[in-house]
Amino acid sequence: MQLKGNTYTFVFALIVCVICSFSLAAVSRSLKPRQELNFAMDIKKNILKAVGLQEPISPQATPHDILEIYNQKIRELVIDAQGNVVADMKPEMIKAGDAYYPLYVYQEGETVLAYAFPMVGHGLWSTLYGYLALEPDGVTIRGITYYKHGETPGLGAEIEKDWFQNNFKGKTIWDIKANELRPITVAKGPVSNSVQDEYKAGFYVDGISGATLTGKGVTEMIARELKKYDPYFSKIRKI
Amino acid sequence: MPAILTKKDRKIIKDALWDSNPITFQVLGICSALAVTVQLKTALVMCAALTFVVAMSNTVISLLRNYIPSKIRIIIELTVISSLVICADQFLKAYMYDVSKQLSVFVGLIITNCIVMGRAEAYAMANPPFKSFLDGLGNGLGYSAVLILVAVFREILGSGTLLGLHVIPEFLYQHGYVNCGVMVLAPGAFFLLGAIIWVQRALSGYTEAN
Repeated sequence: MQLKGNTYTFVFALIVCVICSFSLAAVSRSLKPRQELNFAMDIKKNILKAVGLQEPISPQATPHDILEIYNQKIRELVIDAQGNVVADMKPEMIKAGDAYYPLYVYQEGETVLAYAFPMVGHGLWSTLYGYLALEPDGVTIRGITYYKHGETPGLGAEIEKDWFQNNFKGKTIWDIKANELRPITVAKGPVSNSVQDEYKAGFYVDGISGATLTGKGVTEMIARELKKYDPYFSKIRKI
Repeated sequence: MPAILTKKDRKIIKDALWDSNPITFQVLGICSALAVTVQLKTALVMCAALTFVVAMSNTVISLLRNYIPSKIRIIIELTVISSLVICADQFLKAYMYDVSKQLSVFVGLIITNCIVMGRAEAYAMANPPFKSFLDGLGNGLGYSAVLILVAVFREILGSGTLLGLHVIPEFLYQHGYVNCGVMVLAPGAFFLLGAIIWVQRALSGYTEAN
């Protein structure tokens, strides 16, 4: 066959493509179990971070240590849309589209210290994945984390930074004056620029300059997820 | 130097590292040089990934060079390069998950790094496999040398740490020393890169042709 012929070109392209795809499939297949383990570990680490452990995990902790802490302190529950705990169900058994929601309870011994649940929503470019943790009173935010997103580094990606996440800590999601649920809103830039009233400002956190749409996504996602879990929290809420 | 490397072979590496360094001489691959150099750790992993990709792609393309139909040579080069990049990315996700999360899209973007494509097209298509491998290795290391230099300065000046360990003594902070914020941002990398290119070109005696 001639090196310039069309048949040769097609055959050559085909062979290269087949070899490349087979070797990629082999690499992907053989590394998959490890990757999935890492991914599952990362989620557990984020749940532990959101609930604000009394003794934070040391940076040197091995995956094994993290798993042990997780198994010791986190109880996995599943609740339904009416806020009842579904017995015999584990979060990983929930299928997409089911009206069941996972709930992670942080306990030290018998005392419940926090409830955490996953949040999913849209930012500017990407889907944001994170966890929100409430104190046992069901109204105070204990922590928030984001573990997966594809926002712009330095702008939207700041949602994974401590300064942003720490702003949520201690805020309440319950408007005592109106006696209703009032999720946190991410302001456009610093809160003091837009909200003057001190009581109202309690329901806002500082936004990220240059990432208004990511902030909007965060606001929407918190509101939606809190509504989902409200039937459960309204049963345990102490106000 | 081991005997397997002849004087010529050594010259291939030396050229790529110094006289025609991909960043300071050819000014290629700047995008990733800015993006991953805030910390030394990410820079090191990025350098290893790029060096692997450019050395291997050069070797593979050089092996195929007499069979690749010239009409589709660019797309064949890209197929080989992207396969290698995906391998590197998968490997990082499996064994260095935290770093791979930090590097996010930038590992995948090695595919579009001009150094890899440029060496495949300019060198591997015309030279035998071993030489091409050395050329790829040299270019990868030349890129790494500059990236590591930038990252060391950026991490020390910008965050006061090196590989995550504190290197600026505490008493300096107590006497009013403040980390240099601009080093964390992209402009800091531009300033450093400019300075490095200047110094390197002054030392190697390179001037732009008129």
